[in-house]
Amino acid sequence: MSKGKLREEEIRRIIRADDEWEPVGPTPMPSLTDLRNWDFRLLDTYEPFYAPFCDLCCLCTFGKCDLTGDKKGACGIDIAAQQARWILICSLMGTAAHGAHGRHMIEHLIEKYGEDFKIDLGSQVNVEAPIIRTVMGLKPENLGDLRKAIEYVEREMIHLVSATHMGQEGSYRDFESKAFHAGMLDHVALEAADIAQIVGYGLPTSIADTALVDLGWGAIDVKKPTIVVVGHNAVTANAIVDYLRQHDLYDKVEVAGLCCTALDMTRYDSGAKVIGPLSRQRFFLKAGLADVVVTDEQCVVTDIPQMASEAGAAMVACSDKICYGLEEASAKTADEILQDMLENQKQFLILDSEKAAEVIVRAALALAPVRQERKKIMTQEEAALVSAKCRGTCEACNRACPNLLPINVAINQARQGDFAKLGSVFLRCIGCAKCEEACVNDIPIQKVMQAAAASDTYKIRAGRGPIHDVEIRKVGSPIVLGTIPGVVLFAGCSNFPGDIDDVAWLAEELARRKYIVTLSGCAAMAASMRKDEDGKTIYEKYIPEFDAGCIVNVGSCVSNAHVVGAAIKIANIFATLPNRANFELMADYILNRVGACGVVWGPYSQKALSIGTGAVRWGIPVVLGPHGSKYRRLFMSKKEAGDWNVIDGRTKQVVNTEEPTPEHMMLVTETKERALVTIIKQCFRRNDTPPGRAIKLNSYISAYKQVIGGLPDDLQNFVRTEKEIPIVYKREVIAYLKEVGWKPKTVLSLPTIIGTYETKVPIEATIK
Amino acid sequence: MASELMTMPYYKVNILTGTKAAKVVSEPAEAASIIDKATNPLYVFGAEVIDSPVGDKLLIDFALDIAKSRNIPICATAHVKKKMMELGVLPDSTYDIIEIVHFLKDKNWMGVRGKGFHDLVLFTGVRCDLAERGLSTLKHFAPHLKTFAICRRSHPNADFAVPIITKTEKWRGYLEGVIGELGTA
Repeated sequence: MSKGKLREEEIRRIIRADDEWEPVGPTPMPSLTDLRNWDFRLLDTYEPFYAPFCDLCCLCTFGKCDLTGDKKGACGIDIAAQQARWILICSLMGTAAHGAHGRHMIEHLIEKYGEDFKIDLGSQVNVEAPIIRTVMGLKPENLGDLRKAIEYVEREMIHLVSATHMGQEGSYRDFESKAFHAGMLDHVALEAADIAQIVGYGLPTSIADTALVDLGWGAIDVKKPTIVVVGHNAVTANAIVDYLRQHDLYDKVEVAGLCCTALDMTRYDSGAKVIGPLSRQRFFLKAGLADVVVTDEQCVVTDIPQMASEAGAAMVACSDKICYGLEEASAKTADEILQDMLENQKQFLILDSEKAAEVIVRAALALAPVRQERKKIMTQEEAALVSAKCRGTCEACNRACPNLLPINVAINQARQGDFAKLGSVFLRCIGCAKCEEACVNDIPIQKVMQAAAASDTYKIRAGRGPIHDVEIRKVGSPIVLGTIPGVVLFAGCSNFPGDIDDVAWLAEELARRKYIVTLSGCAAMAASMRKDEDGKTIYEKYIPEFDAGCIVNVGSCVSNAHVVGAAIKIANIFATLPNRANFELMADYILNRVGACGVVWGPYSQKALSIGTGAVRWGIPVVLGPHGSKYRRLFMSKKEAGDWNVIDGRTKQVVNTEEPTPEHMMLVTETKERALVTIIKQCFRRNDTPPGRAIKLNSYISAYKQVIGGLPDDLQNFVRTEKEIPIVYKREVIAYLKEVGWKPKTVLSLPTIIGTYETKVPIEATIK
Repeated sequence: MASELMTMPYYKVNILTGTKAAKVVSEPAEAASIIDKATNPLYVFGAEVIDSPVGDKLLIDFALDIAKSRNIPICATAHVKKKMMELGVLPDSTYDIIEIVHFLKDKNWMGVRGKGFHDLVLFTGVRCDLAERGLSTLKHFAPHLKTFAICRRSHPNADFAVPIITKTEKWRGYLEGVIGELGTA
């Protein structure tokens, strides 16, 4: 069903098409199939790779249906389409989570300030919403416009969800196209949500050098009344900060957070503290150090009420997404709620954020004096005692561990007073507590870890929000030429395969090779949990600018939008290509000319999947840690045997570049070492100039020699001319290329895949 | 009597949710026989071969002996190549685990030595949850080949799997048994 005239007119009204900031491009507010040809063009080169997690389909009552191999379900679906359907479903979950967050944040702020409240991101940011501008064709001016963005996301999602019903879509390629659509919508929602909170709460913008904030459970002064907020929506957390300020209590109460609420709270007030990522939720809450536990939304472990109750802490839920069966108490007075809370240990849902803040602070003040005895972590002597029954032989804990950790050995050694192994297990623990559940001796393993966990305090830089236009003007040219070897975003969760600080290692290896390193969310937190010999974290060592060799924390999950936005701004500000309703033009530019790569080293959530899937549609490849294989879908090329045809923008002729760049669009690597060389390789672009490619090859070869050994055996795919061979490796590389029969390849300065598939975008549009 | 099937591996994250499970290869002689029958096998080494001790040796020492016994080409995934170079051996391929699985799906791919598709792929030392996903891919999308997970944690999505072996001495015995049965090429 194509768009009708009335809908086209409606879209023009929504985006104020007559505003003349740029002409409206070919795809304003694209619907499900408007970018399908672009998607299919990507899929031609980067085939979906499926790794089924389940061989059955249990979604309708025709089944269960066995889809093994070439079998089909009763509805006719095959295993590939079923995997793609799951990907769409999970991407929609992620998009819905970010979209609902945005919807709540924007409505809350509209209630407070009105829909005409202006968007002003400061003197350094004129292109305020590159994603919304590109996807929708709307230049948002106020909170009301951000609501329009969320409404667009919601409208599209109803069609996408519909497509997952039995007897709807049947092609894995179309499911993937729809998942791309969901991912792109996710980015619209991310951008709307973060812009709203930046302007509504006065979060940092147009500044790079944001405050250094304390991180780590040891940073919390638990002698004070302690409030811990958990989740990804800082509306209530910020209200708590406001209440403390208004009542002159800020230095008397400790406010700390787990997951992205913590990051956003520290953007609001740098006196707040970050305990850590999702993987530390159970560890910290079971320790009983919080007097009041506050939940908002997303990535909140679902047994928090039980943990809070066991720890004798008060607990307040603040989001309609997570109600836990609790009584909603917004209509009651704070005194009434507090009485029930303190006398009967009753937990409440309080959706009124101001009321929740008052109750939470007053509860913390009342509880802290009587809870001091409970705010003690387990000693090594106590830990050895409760572990006494372990003999390390049943291995039930190991078998239950989704991160494959040798818990039995660690607990058995702890029993004997040696906590070194348990300390190293803690660094790799994802905090699921499946080990405790499996333990035949009921050893409280998460608590025992308290005796082994280092309580260091780390420094993380508060999220800085958007990348500045002036920064884009400075780095645009070297990024496109390749002389800045790449822009890398570490995003996502804390389901790390190895040590929690591996992200810091990766970030630093890249920064010292002059990549622009950006981080967000739980990855940004984990990256702070590694100190050098001088006790400094990467945030203290590297300049927080969007420039070569710098490290930038953009903020929480929703701040990921700013890194994608930076890639768009390179096309729009540096290359002066129009972005208004011009998705394909922007994505094509990024794919061919902007050496950007996303990394989700600890993936677990559907949100990370939707972010990553959206990135691929923008032409940004994504590297995942091993747990990412459980998303069950990747995008991979056939390397040198793939389709690497592009149009030479100057001659308009099809050219087979014979170079697989970027080589894959989504893949998993097993180890951090392999991830390093893979990330470097994913930043190669066809537009690289010979000097730029030489710099990138230098990084690739040096990293490969460092962590894998010898010369990479695919150099022949990426060396186009002898000029590109790094001088320091010249003799060695030439000998290798001769041995494998390398031949020079074409170097293009205006490569584009526009024109290699059916599109409304003319080739001329790619050239300014 | 039907062969024993592996549905419940060591790690619960790898429990089979399906109908086609691996045949458990309990005897080293049977394992050697499976390898012997292959005309163009491939051995995929995962990162754990270089840091998993088996008694006083490393897992890679045993895996190399198996590969050498039948001149089986090796794909060194992750950063295994570095250790192999230290041991004086060069792998035939350095594709990472997902890349090699991606190419193995394609019957028309010529294999790491250009001899056509591999009819048997052995896996050792790949992180168990990741290995299981790759084996699932091959189970569904590569009907032209068989997979054999030579891993003590066992893998239901393989065609052939070693049973769960928790004792290191037994694991060493199994590996030595396979090597002994294969003898030298």
